[in-house]
Parts: sequence; structure tokens; C-alpha cells
Amino acid sequence: MKKLSIYILSLTMITGAFAQKLDRSKVPAPAPAPKINLSQPATFTLPNGLKVFVVENHKLPKVAFSLSLDVDPVLEGDMKGYVDITGQLLERGTTNRTKQQLDEEIDFIGATLSTSANGVYASSLKKHQAKILEILSDVVLNSDFKQEELDKLKKQTISGIASSKDDPDAIAANVRSVLIYGKKHPYGEITTEETVENVTLEACKNYYKTYFRPNVSYLAVVGDVSVKEIQPLIEKYFAAWEKADVPVNKYKMPAAPKQTEVAFVHKEGASQSVINITYPVNLKKSNPDVVKTRILNSILGGSATARLFMNLREKHGYTYGAYSTLSADELVGYFNANAKVRNDVTDSALTQFMVELNRIADEKVTADELQGMKNYASGIFAYTLQDPQTIARFAIETEKYKLPADYYATYMEQIAAVTVDDVKEMAEKYITPNNAIILVVGNKKIADKLTEFDADQKISYYDIYGNDYVEALKPAPEGVTAETVMNKYIEAKYGVAKGKALDKKLKKIKDITVRMDASIQGQSINVTRYQKAPNKFANAITMGTMVIQKQTFNGTTGKSSGMQGNEDITGDDLEDLKFSSVMFLDAKYTDHGITYELLGVEPINGEDAYKMVQTKPNGETETEWFNVASGLKVKSMSVQENDKMPEPITVVTELSDYKEVNGIMFAHKTKQVFGPQTLDMTVTAVEINTKLGDEVFE
Amino acid sequence: MKKILISTALCLAVFTGANAQANKIKFEQFKLDNGLNVILHQDKSTPIVAVTVLYHVGSKNEDPNRTGFAHFFEHLLFEGSENIGRGEYMKMVSSNGGILNANTSFDRTFYFEILPSNQLELGLWMEAERMLHAKIDETGVETQREVVKEEYRQSFENRPYGSFLMEMFGRAFEEHPYQWVPIGSLEHLNQAKIEEFRDFYKTWYVPNNATLSIAGDFDIKQAKQWINKYFSEIPKGTKKIERPTIVEPEKKKEIRDTVYDNVQLPAVMMGYHTPAQGTPDAYAVEMLAQILSQGNSSRLQKSIVDEQQKALFVGAFPFPTEDPGLSLMFGIANMGVAINDLEVAIDKEVEKVQNELISEEEFQKMKNQIESDMVSKNAKVEGIAENLANYHVYYGDANLINTEIDRYMKVTREDLKRVANKYFRKDNRVVLHYLPKEK
Repeated sequence: MKKLSIYILSLTMITGAFAQKLDRSKVPAPAPAPKINLSQPATFTLPNGLKVFVVENHKLPKVAFSLSLDVDPVLEGDMKGYVDITGQLLERGTTNRTKQQLDEEIDFIGATLSTSANGVYASSLKKHQAKILEILSDVVLNSDFKQEELDKLKKQTISGIASSKDDPDAIAANVRSVLIYGKKHPYGEITTEETVENVTLEACKNYYKTYFRPNVSYLAVVGDVSVKEIQPLIEKYFAAWEKADVPVNKYKMPAAPKQTEVAFVHKEGASQSVINITYPVNLKKSNPDVVKTRILNSILGGSATARLFMNLREKHGYTYGAYSTLSADELVGYFNANAKVRNDVTDSALTQFMVELNRIADEKVTADELQGMKNYASGIFAYTLQDPQTIARFAIETEKYKLPADYYATYMEQIAAVTVDDVKEMAEKYITPNNAIILVVGNKKIADKLTEFDADQKISYYDIYGNDYVEALKPAPEGVTAETVMNKYIEAKYGVAKGKALDKKLKKIKDITVRMDASIQGQSINVTRYQKAPNKFANAITMGTMVIQKQTFNGTTGKSSGMQGNEDITGDDLEDLKFSSVMFLDAKYTDHGITYELLGVEPINGEDAYKMVQTKPNGETETEWFNVASGLKVKSMSVQENDKMPEPITVVTELSDYKEVNGIMFAHKTKQVFGPQTLDMTVTAVEINTKLGDEVFE
Repeated sequence: MKKILISTALCLAVFTGANAQANKIKFEQFKLDNGLNVILHQDKSTPIVAVTVLYHVGSKNEDPNRTGFAHFFEHLLFEGSENIGRGEYMKMVSSNGGILNANTSFDRTFYFEILPSNQLELGLWMEAERMLHAKIDETGVETQREVVKEEYRQSFENRPYGSFLMEMFGRAFEEHPYQWVPIGSLEHLNQAKIEEFRDFYKTWYVPNNATLSIAGDFDIKQAKQWINKYFSEIPKGTKKIERPTIVEPEKKKEIRDTVYDNVQLPAVMMGYHTPAQGTPDAYAVEMLAQILSQGNSSRLQKSIVDEQQKALFVGAFPFPTEDPGLSLMFGIANMGVAINDLEVAIDKEVEKVQNELISEEEFQKMKNQIESDMVSKNAKVEGIAENLANYHVYYGDANLINTEIDRYMKVTREDLKRVANKYFRKDNRVVLHYLPKEK
């Protein structure tokens, strides 16, 4: 009996356990909050003023050294870029080691070392700590600036600038700095090909000598070390570093715009608009508002759960991500709200940005929202402590920005103290959508839709460096008309003004053969063009002895033959061919119903040219440019459609290297770009009146 | 003289072994009845905990007419669950002091939360929600479709050279599903019906296809109780899990093409067919890439970037994959350098490793670098959790986190020369030239 009951009892208990399904609707409550113990790094100062912080962390057998400078930024002017280059030059050789030796020695022990204008970072396994520290000190104390290395760096920097010209983020970052800070502020200077070209070795050396000084430097040592073992090493390698007075540079505080402005940078072919809503902010790191503004920004746009993200991505699907930043800085901080959105929702996305920027200042955030973000901020704070570098950074920042000694030790408490009213107050003070720059880098097709966001309803256009974008086309001077341009062209090309004398000259020419060498996609081909009065035409493309393509018009019928098969040219194509086969059509354009319209003057390859639109009798148009000085045609552009092509393509032809043959100027160089392809042609011979037989045109 | 050198190298090697031993990562591993693999690593140095789940599904497991599914799920599974409201998933983590993210590769999808250590139970509950009954409905699919489209524009269309992997793998593979990349096809996502998404979820998001890996500050006994509580009653998957068995036929002819893109500087990219990760040759291939491009003294850096100044950037990247994949090289030409010139210069460096044995010293440098890299790999708890899961899923041995270094150390100088000749052949590669699109 007894046995059984126990059996039954245990059975019911088991079934009970199974039947009692877990209530998953209950969100688990947190366990008691963990204590965070912020260890204080050990510090010591060398007689030359170098302040050292040591953070012991024995988790991994590694050690990292990070030397950072505490100096004011300098204005670099027309050599902008030289300070960064100085930073990169540091690791390119010392008086004791060539660049190759440095690289070899660092790589050999599996270490890393990187230098910048703000300092030097190196790390290695603990067993190599003395070696890497010695190399680090060699770089800092004995860097040897060589012209050859500067030249290499300049070349690379310039290539880098070239490659980022197409990067909408890089463009936005450049233009944003100019618009926020102005070009006369160190944060608003932009590195361009020209400024890098101007950099001198002298300027780099000078920067190094002036600013790389122990009395303005901090050295953080983090990892598997003790003060006892590392202090003698640091003294050994850094005692010889000489201290010196370092200049202090002051700058005017940039002002936010008086009212909101829309700035637009056109990017050809962009499928997305890069949006930045931005302005400068006066917020130093030591300002007691800083912790509160961090909470404010994390509610607004600091993460993938903040309001901007939830609205623009999760609710509307406009973007992959929308964020905001409110940065504190000793010189000048900034606010920036940003997203990349597809072209057709650019205006809708801006509307939502504005809704959120206004809402955060107009309405109080909820207590829940605030608590969530406070938890998040505390969590992130704990997370960053995983990296022992954080402890070193805290200690250096406390010193550098003159923060209260217990600033980071009490950081979690400061977060906990932020109230709903604090957030509103901070938003009113720092989130100012009515005094902002709305910068959009994108396709100008959509720009008009953004006018309403500008207080003056007027969009300002900028180039990729934040200069005012100037419409290149200028009006033509008084007295110049389409007709005078064409007359000048005809006279320049044929050596005789339009009239009887010209007719007579042209009549004497019975046929023309133009032979050209060309290359397309790396392949060499030959192109020969034949013309015979009055309107016979042939064009042959050959590669070696093989005819790739030939097109002929015998005055009545047209053919195309070659690798893609033979075909008669008919219909509109035949009409076009018939029309364009007329010899000296440009000299007789009025007789054939061609009209021109003069649009203005714009530079082509640095020289002014008249921009004209040609209209043929069938209504087709082509844009042509005629050099103002020489009168000759330098460029043409037309959009061509063909049943075989998925979409119309633009054909651009550039003509240059005009040379006289039999009293007529022929362009000896032609560059034709159609779609992604470029055809470069060079004339090797122009033959006149060689008695071309009619068979050439059959 | 020679003797001394050899003995120094020997000493270093011995020392290396000893060192790796000293920093052994301890972990516990077990399997629930429903097939869920669990790995636990305790590290109390910071009061945080990383909760991660690896689902062994990536783009290679997709229907060729439904590419992009695996990556799409990485988005969809943040939409919510039966007990987590729409859009609340991320908020719940962040408002409890955590961060989260996920990523998708050819071979697997990985989710993680890093939470304050007192929120471990929350993390487990949330991952169980995702595994048991995630919300898969029209609204969520619609929202995430738009988001993925934007990701596509941002990462592939608008970023210079952003389409590189797509263009490369698309040409390199004709049979194997590596021919499409995880972002997949937007068109396929548009065509897919809600039932297809639900079916994918039921097939792949099951405990027997998942590994729960936890690292950080927690109590092991307590963690096991919670894991049991939240995960043990999730039913095992009933649908058949089929993995691709297609073997890409051996290549006999170089594939060469030109891509016109919104770039300013021409670039050359090469992809050589190389063996699956974890195979002895894969380690040699990886080390070969390292000789070519890790550190300023590496061959491509030194010769092409610094001395010849032909490239703004050049690098060799092994691209480890579960099935045989590609080892990649990528060079951006300096201004005014013809792309063919750069290609020839890279080829010359490859020829050198094919023809000459690397020196003892260079070989030692490489080993030192590997030792350092292996240490750094485990600097963070989330990295440890992910590495443990990867080692378990790909090789069935999580302890490789401690021992994989031995596999590298087994590779000889002769192996390097051999694999250079075996795999880095011109007829075994795809070469792409990226040229600026004319405007």
C-alpha cells in the first residue's frame, strides 16, 4: 500500500510538473544590480612632464601603450592635411631605423604600432613589451622626416581623396564641417588634392618639433603589467624626451544659423539622399549638462531603439538607420541627425526628422522612456569597462578636461539623477531645428521638394567641398548670335568665310579618306572613314586584317556588314544616314534645314566655349560647343536611342588637336564616350582626292 | 651559425605552446533533449553577460528562387514574438541596459545580446521567445522588406566597390549556392508569400539547429536552471534539414570581366577557389594571405604600396567558408596607375611564393603574428561566446578555441609553397576590374 501511494504520489508530481506549462508572458525580473568597481590607475610623472597611467589587467598576456597629446588644433590653411600627414610620417623611419626596419621589427613580434597627429598606439604580447616600448620611444623621440616618404604619402593621400570623391558620406562629412564651422576654423578646413600638393616637409617637421612634447603628453599603459616592472622601462626610454613650451591656439566660437537653411550637394546617379541636420553647439566636456544631454540624445537618436530609428526605420521603412549625435568638445561641439533614405522619400523623411526634433523639446518624455534610456546608458557604461583601455581613458579625460576627480566613479549615480524635466530643459537648450543646416547630398532631381524646409524657401547649392556651386553657363557677350558663331566656325575650319569662294574651294574636293588608330577597352582597332561628293559615305572598323564592322551609303541605299552579319539599312535609319552623308554638311547647314540656338558660354577643358543646340529637320537635337578663341568645334553631345538598347545612351564626343590638311582643319584627336565605354581615336592620315572608286561605298 | 638560428626558433615554438596553454578558455557544454547545444563560459571580470544563439542557416541553404531569406530573417526576428510586442525586442534589451545585434553569412545566422549580468534571465527568455514563437506576419515582412531594400542601396549600390562580393561570387560559382551573397535578391523577397517565410522559420529556427552560447559574469548552476526552464520545452524541429551537397566543379579557365561602377579609382579583385575552412590546406591558404598582406612588412604592402607605389590599398583576404570557397585579393590603383600594371604587380608577388620557399625568419614572423592574433580574438566575452559556437558548429569541437593554433603551427614552409601552386593558379580564379563609370 505504502509503496504504491509513494509511487502514485511521485507520478502525480511528475505529471504535475509537465502539465504546469511555463507562463511565458511574464518578463523575467532582473536579479539585484551588480556592483561596479572602478579601479583607479596608478600614475607617475617623469621629470620632463610626461604623465603615465598604468592599468593592470591580467586577463590576457597582452600589453598596450597609448601616448596621446593634449594640444590645441592648428589652422593649416592652404596646406590643410599636413598635420595628419605628420602623424603618418612618424612611423616612417627614425634616425635609428629605416621604415623597412621598423615594419619588419614590429611585424616580427606580432605587434601593432600606429601613429597619428594626436599620438601613438602600440600593443604586443607581454613577452615583447620591452621591445615594443623601445620602438615606440624611438618613433616618438627620433622620427626622421624624409622627403621621399612625404612624397609617397602625398601621392597616397591624393589618391585617397580621389577615391572618396564619389563617396556620398565623405562628401557630406566635408560639406557639413564647412557649413557648421566655416572655412576659417580648424574643424572647417577641408583637405583637397591642392592642399596636399602644397604640404612641405618643413611644415611637418615643425609641427612635430613644436607639439610632440612630453609636457603635453599622456602615456597610458594597460594590460598584463605592474607599475613596478614598467616604470623603470618607461624611465629608460622616455627620460631623454625634452620638454618645451607648446603654443596655445584660440578660436572664435562658430554660431548656429539664424534660421534653418537647406543646403544641397548634387551627386550624379545617386539612388539615396544622405541627410544631415546639423549645427554647432557650445558644450564643453566639463559642462554639467553633459550627462543630461547624453540621456537626451539617447532618447532622441542615440541608438537603434531611439525615437528617430523607431520612426524613420521601423515605422516608415524610409531608411536602414536614423541616428543623432550631440557631441561635447573643448573647442566647439555639434549636433547632427542623419540618415540615408531613398530618393523619393527625402522630403517625407525630413518631415519626420523635424517632427521628432520638435517633439522632444515640446513634450516631456515619459518616465518609462527615461528609465529605459538610463538603464541603457548605465549598461553601456558597464559594457565599455570590459575594455581595460576605458579605465585609462577615464583617468586621462579627468585630467585633460579638468573633470571632478570622482566624475567617472559617480557616473552611474549622475545618470540615475537625470529627471524628465532635465531632459526637456536640455532639449530646449540644445535641440534647435529652427536654427539648423539641413544638408542633403543626393540627386538634384529631388531638390525642389525640399524648398519648404528652408526658412527663405531657397535652397543653397554647394560643390563637394562646400563651395557655393556656381552654374557654369554664362550669357554670351552682346552681339554674338548662333549665326556669328557658325560663321566663325566655318571660316576657322575651312579657311574661307561662307560664300562663293568657299563653295568654289569645297567643289574641288571630290573625296576624303580619314584613317584613324583607335583603342577601345584596351583593344587596338583601325577606323577608316570615306566620303565622296556629293553624299557617298563609308566607315570601316578593322582589327588587324579582320573587318569588324562596315557601314556604307552609296547615295541611295545603305548597308551594314561585319561580324554581326549583313543587313540593309532602311526606314528612319536610312534617312538619317542619307542626311549625315552629305559632304561638308556643316558648311552648308542652312541649305539643309539645320538650325542652331546659342545657349551661352561655359568652359570646356578650361577654355571658354559657346554652347549651342543644333536641331535637324526631323526634330533631333544635339548640343555642340565651339571654342570662343579658335572658333572650332570642341565637343558635342547627343542622346541616342536604338531598339537594341535597353535605355537611351548619351554619346559625348570631344574633338582636339586640329591640324590643317589641304587648307581644311581636321581634328586629329577624337574621344567618344558612350555609356560606360570610351573610344579614343587618333588620325594617322587624311587623304584628299585619291579618286575613290564607287565600289568602296557599296 | 645555422644551428643557433634553428635552436632559437625551436625555443620560440616551445614557448608559444606553453603560453597558449596558460590562457586556456574553460567552458562547459551540453545538449538538451530537443537537440539544443549549450556552451557556457564564465568570466567574472566585468558584470556583463553575452547571450548568443547561432542558427546553422545561411544563404547557402536558400532556395535559388528565394535568395536573401536567411538575411531577411535576421531582420524579421526582431519584429517581436507572442509575448514581445512589435518593435519591442530591441527596446526591451536597451531599456534593460543591453545591446544587441545579429549578422548573417553564407553559412550561419548569429544573434547576440550583451546585458548587465543581473539580466541573464531576460536574455534567455527573449532568445527562447525568438526560437519558440517569433512573430511572422505581413506587417513585419512589409516593414523589413523596406529596411532591407535600404540596406541594399546603402551597402551595395551607393558604396564604392560595394558590389564586389556579389560580382565576384556570382561569377566564381556556377553550381554551388555561394553564387549568391546573403543580401540575395530583392525581387525574390518581393515575390515570397507569408507561408514561405513561416516554412523557413519552422525548418531552420529549431533547437536542433541552434547553439546557445553564453559568456560572462553569471552563476553556472543558476544559468542551467533557467536554460532548462525556457528552452527544454521548445519542440524539436520536424521538417527535414537538408544541406547543399553540390560540389562546384574544378575550374580550368580564368574568368575575367569588367565592372563599371561609381568609383574614382580603378580596382582589381581576384578570387581563387580554395578549400573549405578547417581543412589543413585552408590553414596554409590563410597563412599565405597573411604573408602577402598582414602588416606593413608584408609582401604586397611593402612592394606594391610602398616601394612601387602602384596601389592606394592592396590586401589578400582568406574568406573562410564551410564549403570550399574563395580566397580574395583586392587592390585599388593609385592615381595614374593602369589597372593592368597593378594586376601584374600582384601576380608577381604570388609567383614569388609559388617559386621560392619563404625564409625561416619570415615564417617565424608569421607564427608570432598568429600567436598574437589568437590571444586578441578572445578579448571580449561576446567574442568568446561567438568563437565557441563557431568552433562547435563548424568543426564539432568547441575546444578548438584553445587548440586551433596547433593546426596553424603544423603548416610548414613547404606547405605554403605547395598551396600557392595548387590553388593560386590563374586558371583557378576570377579577375574583376572595377572601372569608373563615365558620367
